[in-house]
Amino acid sequence: MPKPPSSGGPTPSNFFQRDRLVAALMLIVFLSLAGRLIQLDITSGDDFERLATRQRIVREVVPARPGDIVDRQGRVFATSVCVRSVYVVPRQIRDGWQLASQLAQALGLDADRIFETIASHPGRHFLWIKRRITDDEAERVRALKLSADICGFRDEFRRRYPQGALAAQVIGLRDIDGRGQGGIEQSFDEMLRGRDGSRELLQDARRRVIEVRDDTEAPPRHGKTIVLTLDAVIQVYAERALDGVVARWKPQSACAIVLDPKSGDILALASRPTFDPNHAESARAESWKNRPIADMYEPGSTFKPFVVAWGMASGCIHPDEVFDCENGEYLMGRRLLHDHHRYGRLSVADILIKSSNIGMAKIGQRMGNGRLYQAALAFGFGGPTGVELPGELPGRVRPLKQWTTYSTGSVPMGQEIAATPLQIIAAYGALANGGTLMTPRLVVREASESGSIGATIVSPVVDSRIADWVRKNALAAVVTRGTGKKAAISGYEIFGKTGTAQKLDPQTGQYSRNLHVSSFVCGGPVDHPRVLVMISVDEPSVSLNGEHFGGSVAAPAAGELLRRALVRLKVPADESLLRSALLPDDFTEEFLE
Amino acid sequence: MFFRFSSALVLVVLVSLAGTALEKRNLELKRIVSRQQYRLEILLERHGANRVLAQQLGAPSRLIDELDAEPATAEKPATLQKADRPAAKKRAAGRAR
Repeated sequence: MPKPPSSGGPTPSNFFQRDRLVAALMLIVFLSLAGRLIQLDITSGDDFERLATRQRIVREVVPARPGDIVDRQGRVFATSVCVRSVYVVPRQIRDGWQLASQLAQALGLDADRIFETIASHPGRHFLWIKRRITDDEAERVRALKLSADICGFRDEFRRRYPQGALAAQVIGLRDIDGRGQGGIEQSFDEMLRGRDGSRELLQDARRRVIEVRDDTEAPPRHGKTIVLTLDAVIQVYAERALDGVVARWKPQSACAIVLDPKSGDILALASRPTFDPNHAESARAESWKNRPIADMYEPGSTFKPFVVAWGMASGCIHPDEVFDCENGEYLMGRRLLHDHHRYGRLSVADILIKSSNIGMAKIGQRMGNGRLYQAALAFGFGGPTGVELPGELPGRVRPLKQWTTYSTGSVPMGQEIAATPLQIIAAYGALANGGTLMTPRLVVREASESGSIGATIVSPVVDSRIADWVRKNALAAVVTRGTGKKAAISGYEIFGKTGTAQKLDPQTGQYSRNLHVSSFVCGGPVDHPRVLVMISVDEPSVSLNGEHFGGSVAAPAAGELLRRALVRLKVPADESLLRSALLPDDFTEEFLE
Repeated sequence: MFFRFSSALVLVVLVSLAGTALEKRNLELKRIVSRQQYRLEILLERHGANRVLAQQLGAPSRLIDELDAEPATAEKPATLQKADRPAAKKRAAGRAR
């Protein structure tokens, strides 16, 4: 008897078996996924978190605005304006040539060069294309509507110098990366630069900023403003005076300094040749040199008043003494000294007024090398003045043990030592300031703070009566009847000293007859000096005008610069001197009838 | 029972609606602040550019000639004309008599 056919459906036991199997499979899958999740979380969780954060949140640098440099009246010498710079992301670029040609057209660059730049750095995330572009160029790049993934802008600060070439070497400049190069820009780089800040931006999947996160913002610390002691108007006068000197005498270089002897404030500091810091790329190499602090030469006759003052202070000479100047020729040891003119007996004052080398050599013999050495050091020679500028030379005063009997005759006439123009005028500041030497300074204070940045060092050098005697009896007469007559100005009684130093001939190693440094230092008014001026001219062309003396080359320009500075500072003119200036040149008693 | 449930539901919905409205307002204010900051940055940039321009136009090197043309107390006046001299005046007065 055959078996009855089965119904074909699952039996209850089969059904439960399958159910358990499915459940087990699901459990395995669930456990596998859970295990994987736990594994990812434990082993790579931090990495994924960082990746997600990087995709969502970007940290943006907020650049600090560099501080301004202004003159004592608040006129801006250097400031910064915000400009755009274009960059690309080579890693994201698909069609490099198309992008290069588009950018080249918008920015006025060479497409081949852009393409080469991009192609040579295929893996980079950032590449500058052009920095500090104009607004028009930025607009043209924006019009290209390039993807933010491959091309973008960054804000940068561009340094601008609204006064142009005025005091270019004093101000210095900032390079394309914002680092100070030369001048105040370099000395006060850290203070001017400030510190960049940062902020976090929240982005969506398309890298559009949806939120600036306030809680993570680190604000930038902007650079501080530096206030200089310079007066832009007096600086213009100084620059123009130098232009006149350069046009007439065609020298290798020239410089001018205007100083307030009471405070040590430098009112103007100019050099030739010069450059425009707005177009620094076209500047000549020699125009970078800040000559008042970086040119070093023998001061020549401008050194003589310090020897006389120190000789009087040490009791070696007396103001009423008379020295025999040997009619222009004097054999000092084995050395024959000459004067420009034949002088007989000259008083101490007249030795300075006539700038007699023989008279000074005799004063030097009286003082001896030790006191001459002390004189040089006391008036600040042989060491930097401490002005707030980089690259200041210290000058040169050899150690005393290297001095010889030759030095006894040379040093009193300004040879065998070397000084910068700033050292010389600072030393004259002592004679104009009652015998007290002040550190010349260029920086007044930060605009946001009171008080001084640089410490002003005050050193008493000689007694005020000696300083006044040298100034009123000797240096004032240099201008009225001595070698500096061409510096005389109307309305003010001034004092001054000429200097004509021979330079060493680089070929022979001897003093040259044709190469000179002609200088003139003057100040006024004599009784209460408010301003000192120095003009120094390196290698004036003798062939052009037949002269090379400081009294001819530098004195006229220095006198005129002093007059303009005094008027600018509203120093009242002497009424009696003004009245005499009003009278005609052919004045006789007939006019008073 | 139904009333309590629906009241609770309405309360939850109202609270969430209020939260949403507050969030929207918050975002809107954030956008306004961002926009104002952006405007401020633009204005500061313009101020900087205009300041540079003003300083360039008012630079002493440009204006110094006009400054010098102004009368200054210490300037040496032109030499007196012959007719202004005392003797010449005296002679002229004598001739007139």
